Amino acid sequence: MRTLVFIPAWNEEASIASVIADVRKAIPAADVLVVDDGSTDATAERARAAGALVASLPFNQGLGAALQTGYLYSLRSGYDACAHLDADGQHPAEEVARLLGEVTADRADLVIGSRYHEGAVAASGDYKPTISRRIGTSVFRFFLTLATRQRFTDTTSGMRAANRRVMALFSVHYSPDFAEIESLQLAVRQGLRVEELPVRMLERVGGSSFLTPLRSAFFIFKGLVVLLVGQFRPRHAEAKQ
Amino acid sequence: MKFLLLAAAETGQVHLTARTRIVAAILAVFFMLMILELIRRDKLQERYSVIWFVAGLGMLAGAAFPGLLEVVASVMGVRNTNVALFSIVLLLLLGLALNFSVIMSRQAAQITRLAQERAIEKAAKQAAEERNGSAPSGEQALQPEEERLES
Repeated sequence: MRTLVFIPAWNEEASIASVIADVRKAIPAADVLVVDDGSTDATAERARAAGALVASLPFNQGLGAALQTGYLYSLRSGYDACAHLDADGQHPAEEVARLLGEVTADRADLVIGSRYHEGAVAASGDYKPTISRRIGTSVFRFFLTLATRQRFTDTTSGMRAANRRVMALFSVHYSPDFAEIESLQLAVRQGLRVEELPVRMLERVGGSSFLTPLRSAFFIFKGLVVLLVGQFRPRHAEAKQ
Repeated sequence: MKFLLLAAAETGQVHLTARTRIVAAILAVFFMLMILELIRRDKLQERYSVIWFVAGLGMLAGAAFPGLLEVVASVMGVRNTNVALFSIVLLLLLGLALNFSVIMSRQAAQITRLAQERAIEKAAKQAAEERNGSAPSGEQALQPEEERLES
């Protein structure tokens, strides 16, 4: 069982090395790949120095394209399972290991780490969402649940684990604009087993979220359009193996 | 004044003048010549020129056979042929803009895939070097290679 953990990173030189170290400690058997999304700082160098493989996109392509690069690399290099987590230190690697466990035990094709699931334990220093994020989260939660007839609590989670069926699907179809939500909808429509696992997430170490109220409103609107369009996409019996 | 308006309503359609038709025809011919010249100089690819030739021919047809335009106007329920003309041109431009968005989306997807392929190739090369080479640290093994590629 070969496993790849990939980390999409855009100008994360401050946190990337510690995230890689965390992954290597918690999941020693896995290879670590940093998908450097056109960083202009030392992200790629620090990642290489920390012992990770680095796939550098020549210019910033957005999170969706970076994640797809990871799925494509996993597929091409013959990994049996892959997982990804954010580069800003919000995602503890031992939680990623639990997601991978679900995939390798073949209980699900795609496992999402949910910070809002009832099972998620809150501790001090843990993730506390802002008001606008809370609104956005519940809107997406409602509509994605409606669209997929499956309950999702954390639709925008960037902590996931997947098997080869998912790699094959996401390396071909992965929306660059609204990756997190549309990919869940797509996976469910393709008949894949998608599961949520409650996880702990931490408050981000540095920087602030890019979401202002106006941006949040636009983000939500765009997400709803994407979901609506996704409902009209062809439904296949199964993804290409 | 009111009488005049009513009279206009009763006389039916407002037609294009002969001068408008001549100007339109000249513009259409000039327009198509310009497209030919752009293709000749490799500034425009043939596959993207077809739609412009169709637009130019449409302009020419409208100028040569104003009856066509009047038929369209009456189908649209527009009394003034000029208004019909403007509407048609506006729709045509909307269609063209949409066509460009489609082309742009396709090219954006192609560029993304190209970037991904290159990134993956580099990572695969690094992985192969770490497997084969005795260099314990990928950083030292790859640094000179990186510099050569970047410069």
